[in-house]
Amino acid sequence: MTKTHLKSFHQPQQPKRKEITMAIVFEANYSKKLGLPGFSSHQYSVTVRSEVTDIKQVPAESNRIYKLLQDAVDKEIQHVGFLPKNSNGNSSDKPAPNGGDNGNGHDDTWDCSDKQKELILRIVSENNLDKQEIETLALERFGQGVKKLNRLEASGLIEELLEKYAEKPNRAQRRYPARRFQPGSAK
Amino acid sequence: MIAPAVAPPSQSGIKDRLDVLQETVSASRLNCWQQCRLKFWFRYVLRLVKPSAPALYVGSIVHSVLQSWNLGRWRYRSVNLEALKQTFHENWKEEQVEAVINWQGEEEAERTTGWALLETYFRDTPITLDEKPEAVEVSVEADLSEHGLPKLIGVIDLVRAGGRIVDFKTASQTPTVKKAQHLHEAQTSCYAIMYRESTGRKETGIELHHLVKLKKPKIVVTPLEPMTDNQQTRLFKGIESYVAGLDREDFVPSPGLHCQSCEFWNECRRWS
Repeated sequence: MTKTHLKSFHQPQQPKRKEITMAIVFEANYSKKLGLPGFSSHQYSVTVRSEVTDIKQVPAESNRIYKLLQDAVDKEIQHVGFLPKNSNGNSSDKPAPNGGDNGNGHDDTWDCSDKQKELILRIVSENNLDKQEIETLALERFGQGVKKLNRLEASGLIEELLEKYAEKPNRAQRRYPARRFQPGSAK
Repeated sequence: MIAPAVAPPSQSGIKDRLDVLQETVSASRLNCWQQCRLKFWFRYVLRLVKPSAPALYVGSIVHSVLQSWNLGRWRYRSVNLEALKQTFHENWKEEQVEAVINWQGEEEAERTTGWALLETYFRDTPITLDEKPEAVEVSVEADLSEHGLPKLIGVIDLVRAGGRIVDFKTASQTPTVKKAQHLHEAQTSCYAIMYRESTGRKETGIELHHLVKLKKPKIVVTPLEPMTDNQQTRLFKGIESYVAGLDREDFVPSPGLHCQSCEFWNECRRWS
């Protein structure tokens, strides 16, 4: 095969399509809200935008930015700034342990079930209890405020409140006669 | 002697009762169902009340004292052996006010056994006095509606620090690990599911603390791994069977060794 012969089979070159790379804008926000003593809470969030050239880069970029933002938020949120005086007359620059919140704060999100929340509030209301006292009890028992208690902890708190304030039989008296001796009404 | 807790239910009363029993399920109900459906009928549907067996009474008082001990640590209060002994004797008297126990002249011997078990436990327990529990005697539940199952309810004896679920048991024989794991699997799986739902965390393990009534009492602690997916499937299938069985009112007896200690022996023999 000669060079000339080869040339005869050569297809005319099409002009190359210019590859256009679309930038993918990746926006991430990290927000954290912490309950504080003295009926307070504070919140801080950081948002960043980043560009990736390939959709496949998103998981890695998300991972990187999440860590970055979390570190940034955690670093700043430790400074709680001004706090109104609580019932003990103290204000503190230290965050409440484990993000402790209280029963009276503005944030109405509870981590326990709605039923548990209603029961706690009902016990407090029916017995004219001081919410701050209940908050202190939760902090003593669980290291965090009432609203931050999970369902297991809230159940423990409810038992404690019933025993302490509601003049109901203690948990052993409630449980064992029912469970052991009246099987029909057992749990 | 049959002493119904309430007047014998009418047909509509039974239907209502079955509906209630299908709305929720507990480990003890499931255990009873799996042991014998006719026993379940007498106990949970007709709600027949029988005099308690002494062993059951001893078990309940032992549990109540262990609970006081756990609560003491939870509340950062020191509870000494003398105080616990006093609690034991007080509870022993108080609980009998409303309970009928068929002692057969053995009350004093049973009382001695009960305290001996507790003394042994407090001496040999792996739980140290400064270990604060995560939870003591807590009512918990788990919504299983996404699996098409009723709500799971129960009370967990103790959750040790770090998420180890503990159940106390009194027994007359020394348990082996395999036997204990098998016999109590439904119960431990129920607790694991409720713990996970209540805390959003997986339990780090489960412990069965057996207080064994021998001449020389002893404590056997059986550590179990966290619930596996397979165990969860077995439990869910068990609950499915429970719901379906109640639905078709399947209350046939399951004769076996457990009949020897069944309080409904006479009722069972009359069943047809």
